[in-house]
Formats: sequence, structure tokens, C-alpha cells
Amino acid sequence: MRVLIVDDSSVMRKIVARGLRQAGFKITDILEAGDGQQGMDLLKTDSNFKLILSDWNMPVMDGLSFVKSVRSGPPAIKNIPIVMVTTEGGESKVGAAMEAGANGHIKKPFTPETLQTELERFLK
Amino acid sequence: MSEPNATEMMNRLLNGLRLAVTEMMTAMAMSEVVFAGQESCDAFSLSSEVVGLVRLDGQLHGMVGVACSKDLLREIVSRIVGLAPADLIMEDLLDGAAELANMVCGGMKTKAQIGNVNLSPPVSIVGQEYIAQWKTNRPTTVFTFQMDEGVLRVYASL
Repeated sequence: MRVLIVDDSSVMRKIVARGLRQAGFKITDILEAGDGQQGMDLLKTDSNFKLILSDWNMPVMDGLSFVKSVRSGPPAIKNIPIVMVTTEGGESKVGAAMEAGANGHIKKPFTPETLQTELERFLK
Repeated sequence: MSEPNATEMMNRLLNGLRLAVTEMMTAMAMSEVVFAGQESCDAFSLSSEVVGLVRLDGQLHGMVGVACSKDLLREIVSRIVGLAPADLIMEDLLDGAAELANMVCGGMKTKAQIGNVNLSPPVSIVGQEYIAQWKTNRPTTVFTFQMDEGVLRVYASL
């Protein structure tokens, strides 16, 4: 099972990767991208992901634009579940991400238990 | 439910900020943190080795800063990401300072339950000799938290 983490913060990418492993998911590979554009570039050559976890605020291409790009992308990537991982808990922003095609939302800070609960349906 | 007035919003945010620091350190860094006091000062001026800053705007304007020593930041980030302190690179420290401020402010906003306050992307400073100043006519509240490895201070001018 492979997961893509899209976040401009090296620390947050490490936090999410560690949390996924601590949550007990049987993940074989965790790939990382530093912004939405890097995420799209990676997905053009490698679409074999069970889940994408994406930040909201990123340079070059933010999380909302990234979700829209994936959902309007080629068939191989357009149905990959995307969960936003962000501090922005405002209903309007969560709503905008869900309207754009995101499948869920996790607020920072989170625990491995939170990841386990929120991501289980995607990583069975 | 009626909209809170400015004083109530400020109090909610300050209470939320204090709680968010403890929660974040416990949940993410698995560190014991003890609230060691609160004071008010006229200037928003930070000169610790490490600072993370987030600007607030919308229904209420302000600035929040998280400040500590580089050694404490290294320890906190090490615990959060699960790497030895010596394995952290400069990018990790810069991003770590930013994420501390980001998560603390996100937690503050959630706990305060005020919808119309927006948080800017965080700014981080890791250095030796500098002063980060935000000129404002509002007072600054400084929360001090004691951790085993040092002191963490959180500044809020709202």
C-alpha cells in the first residue's frame, strides 16, 4: 500500500509519515512532494497510490488547486482519495476542499489514533 | 448565538492559545509542559534564537509568536518527527519553528470557536542576533511554559 504526502514543510511530511506508521497501517511506501505542482508532476509518472494526504497552504500550487488538478486529471489519478491535513479548521475552507473533491480533513495537531480513525476507511 | 465582542474574542483566543500549547506539546511532542506564568508588556518584540510567527486578520487583527532556544526547538522537533536531534537539518528547524506556530495558532482558533479570524502562513526565524518586532498600539500577552529542556514563550498581541 502506497501513500503520497504533499506538504511544503519537511517537518510536517515527517510527522505525517511517522503518524501513519504508528497508526499501524500496512504501508509499503510513503512518497513526498513539496507542493501541489510537485505532487502533480510525480503523479504523471507514478499513479499507484492508495491515498494522498495534502496540506492546504503551500507555495507554487496550494492544496485546493492540487485537489482540483487531481480531480480533473487523467483516469489513473482522478479517483485517488485525498485527505487534507491542515490547521485551517474553518467550515468554509473544509467545505471548499470537499466541494473540490477532497474526501476528508484532518486537523493538526493530531495523534496516531486520530489518523487511525480518520484514515481507516481509505487504507483497509 | 450572538457574535462575541472584541474583548470576549480576545479572551477566548488567549485562553485557547494557552490550552493549545499544552495540547500540542502533549499530543505531538509527547513532552510534559507546565504553564509557568503570564505577563503583559507594551511591545511585541522577540529576540530568542528561534521564533515562529503567525498573523491574524479578519474580525480581529493580531500577531502570535512562539519563541525558544535552538536547543529546545531541536528537542521538540526531534520528538515530533522521531529522529535524533543530531539528525535534524536546518530546513527541519526552520520548518519546525513554523509548524509550532502554525499548530499552536490552529489549536487556538479551534478552541476559541471564532470563525472570522484568518491565520497567515507562518514565518520562521532561526538565528543568533536579531530582534523581531511588530509595531502595534495593543499590549502583548506573554505566556511562559516550562519544559524539561528549557523555556517556551508564546507572545500574543490581539
